[in-house]
Amino acid sequence: MEQSPPLRTLVFIPAWNEEASVDAVIADVRAHLPAADILVVDDGSTDTTTARAQAAGVIVATLPFNQGLGAALQTGYLWALREGYDCCAHLDADGQHPASEVARLLTEVREDRADLVIGSRYAAQPEPLPGAEPEGEDYRATLSRRIGINVFRFILTLATRQRFTDTTSGMRAANRRVMKLFSESYSPDFAEIESLQLAVREGLRVEEVPVRMLERTGGSSFLTPLRSAFFIFKGLIVILVGLFKPRHAEAER
Amino acid sequence: MRATLAPLAAQADHVSLTAQTRIIAAALAILFMVWILDLIRRDRLQERYSVVWFVAGLAMLAGAAFPGLLKFVADLMGVRDTNVALFSIVLLLLLGLALNFSVIMSRQAAQITRLAQERAIERAREQAAREALEKQLDGNAE
Repeated sequence: MEQSPPLRTLVFIPAWNEEASVDAVIADVRAHLPAADILVVDDGSTDTTTARAQAAGVIVATLPFNQGLGAALQTGYLWALREGYDCCAHLDADGQHPASEVARLLTEVREDRADLVIGSRYAAQPEPLPGAEPEGEDYRATLSRRIGINVFRFILTLATRQRFTDTTSGMRAANRRVMKLFSESYSPDFAEIESLQLAVREGLRVEEVPVRMLERTGGSSFLTPLRSAFFIFKGLIVILVGLFKPRHAEAER
Repeated sequence: MRATLAPLAAQADHVSLTAQTRIIAAALAILFMVWILDLIRRDRLQERYSVVWFVAGLAMLAGAAFPGLLKFVADLMGVRDTNVALFSIVLLLLLGLALNFSVIMSRQAAQITRLAQERAIERAREQAAREALEKQLDGNAE
């Protein structure tokens, strides 16, 4: 059998005012995914995120003003699609996502077991991988976050008839089918959930892989109880409307 | 024309609009339309967004000139009090306009996002090209 050319991989990191942690995340990705190219998507930061990432030697796509996580992620998918990458992955810039775990997600995509792979904090934990065990404390969710997560988990499971445990995870890996879909339509308001629903509706294979996550090293969570309530409300609308959205032209298989 | 409009105008008594309010309303409607034309003239308002306002101004003028129209519409709605009909029509109209603006705003927000993304990608391309060139120049220098 002829040896196929190596798959080109992009890891992109959406960052909004993450100057404190972006260096460490880039170094982490380089250590665990030496063959992958790295793109930082700076979502209109007012700090030195872009400068620090450029100094670290990675390409930076800087949005001229803050557009929200969905728009930043879509920028990454657009870049991956246009630059001809075979697969891509993204992780948060705040240091919660160990690159060693991202590597495991990418393996699933590379070996074509799924089109879109979600890193789940809450799926049954695997044995800690030797040598890949992240240092520091494992991820623990706050109460308001746990409530929101459970609501979404339930509703998304109903809507997609597929079980998801971590609907808001920002650690994902994807192939070109997903890049095409997400670079066209990606809700700027509710990226994580609507994208899952969209991918399932378009007949893509979406898979969850249990991962370990860390406590954030920089920045702070944007969720306050009031925001959580608003967040949940918006999420419900998104899922409800998503059920009745017209299907795209058959996603390329 | 005159024959059909005369009875409508004559019905003014049945509608609780005095001659004074009708004149004020008509004057306001005309002022309003002149204002819209001026906004278009000074490029402050695009034609495509002016149509709906112009129609609103004309409707206001028609209501002031022929109060019978209002009575007619109120009867159609099954409302005995023409004032109630007037207010509900205006409210519905404003509601529709506000929604229309939200739709336009959403479309423009999507366009702005895509524009920002395209620009970010262009800048990333520039950076990649610059770095590739610098590498090449460094290689030649050795």
